[in-house]
Amino acid sequence: MRHPWLACSLTALAVITTACAPGATAPTAAAPEAEPGYAASADGALPAGGTLNLQVHVDTGAASGLDPQLADVASSWQVMSLVYETLVTVGPDFTVQPLLAESWETPSPTTYVFKLRDDVVFSNGRRMTADDVVGSLKRLLDSKSVWRGQLGPVKSVTKSGEHGVKITLDTPYTPFLSALANVPAAVLPMKEVRDGSVDPAVKMVGTGPFTVEDHRQDVSWSFRKNAKYWAPGKPALDAVNITVAPEETARIAGLQNGGASLATLGNVDSAGMLAGAANVEVVTQATTDFYYLMLNTKAASSKFADPRVRQAINMAMDRGQIADVAVGGQGKPTGATPAGLPGACDPARLPSATGGPEGAKKLLAAAGVRDLSFTLSIYSTEPAPAVAQVIQQNLQQAGIKVNIEQMDEASWAGKVYGKAPATFDAALSWFAGYADPGMVAKWWNPDVAGFNSGFMKSDKELNELIDAANTVPSGAGRTEALAKVCAKADTDAQMIPLVTRPATIGYRSDALSPSLYATEGYGNALRLIADTRAKAVR
Amino acid sequence: MRLALWWSGRALSSAATLLGVSILIFAAVRMMPGGFAETILGPFATPEQKAELAARYGLDQPVFMQYWHWLTAVAGGDLGTSMISREPVSLELLARLPVTAELTILSVAAAILLGVPLGVLTAVRARPDGGAAVGRLLSGLGVSVPEFVLGSLAVFLFSRYALGLSVGGYVPVTVDPAANLRSMVLPAAVLSIFAISATARTTRDAVLGVLVEPYVTAAVARGESPWFIITRHILRNAAAPVVTLTATITAYLLGGALVVEYVFNLPGIGSYVVQAVGRRDYAVVQAGVLLAAAVFIVMNVLVDLMVGTLDPRLGVTAKGRRA
Repeated sequence: MRHPWLACSLTALAVITTACAPGATAPTAAAPEAEPGYAASADGALPAGGTLNLQVHVDTGAASGLDPQLADVASSWQVMSLVYETLVTVGPDFTVQPLLAESWETPSPTTYVFKLRDDVVFSNGRRMTADDVVGSLKRLLDSKSVWRGQLGPVKSVTKSGEHGVKITLDTPYTPFLSALANVPAAVLPMKEVRDGSVDPAVKMVGTGPFTVEDHRQDVSWSFRKNAKYWAPGKPALDAVNITVAPEETARIAGLQNGGASLATLGNVDSAGMLAGAANVEVVTQATTDFYYLMLNTKAASSKFADPRVRQAINMAMDRGQIADVAVGGQGKPTGATPAGLPGACDPARLPSATGGPEGAKKLLAAAGVRDLSFTLSIYSTEPAPAVAQVIQQNLQQAGIKVNIEQMDEASWAGKVYGKAPATFDAALSWFAGYADPGMVAKWWNPDVAGFNSGFMKSDKELNELIDAANTVPSGAGRTEALAKVCAKADTDAQMIPLVTRPATIGYRSDALSPSLYATEGYGNALRLIADTRAKAVR
Repeated sequence: MRLALWWSGRALSSAATLLGVSILIFAAVRMMPGGFAETILGPFATPEQKAELAARYGLDQPVFMQYWHWLTAVAGGDLGTSMISREPVSLELLARLPVTAELTILSVAAAILLGVPLGVLTAVRARPDGGAAVGRLLSGLGVSVPEFVLGSLAVFLFSRYALGLSVGGYVPVTVDPAANLRSMVLPAAVLSIFAISATARTTRDAVLGVLVEPYVTAAVARGESPWFIITRHILRNAAAPVVTLTATITAYLLGGALVVEYVFNLPGIGSYVVQAVGRRDYAVVQAGVLLAAAVFIVMNVLVDLMVGTLDPRLGVTAKGRRA
């Protein structure tokens, strides 16, 4: 949403008119009950074929074009996942599962040997080889992709026999498989990329269930079934048409009038606005994405140089209230490791969890700070303004005055990331939480996450804790190590995690039988698109 | 000779206007808060990536050089390249032109076909009764309610209650003319509310002014039919302000299309420019604004020519009229 005046007006009007709408307008086609771990399960008895008409709020939009390795936002990953596939993927409840790799072994904590499927072909008809996998990963490691940092300490990538790939790490790195499960680690047709016949920035050639038929930037995509797709019987759909509809009300209208058979929704109130709409189902995916507050400690006259001031702000915020009020009760309080991920820390046990406004006042008094006031810079996309308002009210109880500065996304991005050192006081944003609790925690190290270096200082102890937690194998030991990361990030308080950011997806139950996981780490509502089935034409 | 002078004068003033607009928009997009690099590349971009993007589009050069390069390219027909799609802006504008043109034509047609008769009717039956007051109230509302309010109400009501017209889901006229019309009627109706009201008000005022002219009284005295008097005497003599308004409204509707296209998710030039503003896609914004200015200029020239045809006293070659 890039037009706050428009957004506010439309939302207000929609809410008002919804209040006058009848409770139910027509019988609704029953959606089948979802399996555990799923928000919706496709009805496998439905015949294959048909078209999915999807509406999304934003197109892939990077100057790097369509190159999946350089894609750094979830909206791009979602679209690109129709065409590109990775060695492994994420299953229900964030389990890592085989995809292009049939299986893998870890003969040592620093060695992964993947056995590749031998029946995979690219959409241009050429069989995928181990050279493609090796070349793709090396290309990623040599690139400027932000995902390069998430792959961890990769030492070498080599072929292991005709259908195998061996990856060696310098040190153990627990999130490695989860990092391989996202679109930037996709396998590209490297023979064609090297000889120049395929430029991934402008042409998408992958092993995925669909191929691109047409793309108009910021308008639409047309995908057709990849007839050479390796998985028998998949994809069930013949085609996927994506319409880019920036206005939430347009997507809601699309669901109501059947123009869209599935739509991603951004406003937590949208489910209420669609309540009673005939044949429209709205599901909420619990994601690991989360909102966080940035406190600029690098500005020349930073008000947050004293850690006690930052801790006071952290202490005064009521994450539960933010989740209930601003995110409609669909988010969860979180620490630096996203709530909901196995091994993530418990936000109720964070040092800031018990102080409240009185504790914050004491900290401010100890720091000798009186009448603290600062400007909180936010963008206009809901629910960021609502989150900011709850923060404002929370901090008011601790005697801290917050001025909310709301701007369009471009202005906000320029202010927060345009200069180093940054000039803002505080800012609100959100991170994709990924599929391993140690991944997003790496963004607390500005030496790794250079994009944060404009406003936060590197903390050696915190960096070491993050690195240490990512070398410990999953289990009790790692949970304990991650709890230390959370506690240290909590007291450092240059970036303060708040609440998770749910994803809302609407679909026409008379047109579609989708498969959707109950949880998602990479913002990809289309992860199970190959399973989704269309119903008979209405 | 007088006509040649007029044309050369208009050409010069048009060129000067376009040059002024080009300077203003070029400066304005660069003064907008928020950098193109952070917006287009996203927060994760490194300083090297930002520098590479700036160099690719010449944005690392001094502003005056950037402007000169852009101006000379535009003069040669090259409107630049979108930093988002990496496609020529002119191609995308051409691809989107049919949507905006259709929306505008439908709205202007509605304004003329409904606004003019409404204006004539309220003028010739102007009495201090309730009907006239209601007419003025409705036209006042039509002029003052913004498109985004009407648009969002229409989006909700027509999608919620299945009132017969489709919302969103634009269908090109070449694919299915009937479906195209169904998808365009509602946006065009929303866009035309202002135009209908303004046209009706202007027509009414113009007709009221003509009604008191002696030649109308004479026509009535001659026993000519009301239809003949309205079409031959009143409309022709009241046409100048209505034609001028229609031209102005056409250009205004192009501006209104920004909002309506966005609300109804129509892939026209308006939504293209709105999205480009949000993403700081400089070349697209500059081209869009320059195109709008050119349309304004062309419409004004057409108005001058049409007014001259309708009333030679006001024509471009009339004595005493400045070029």
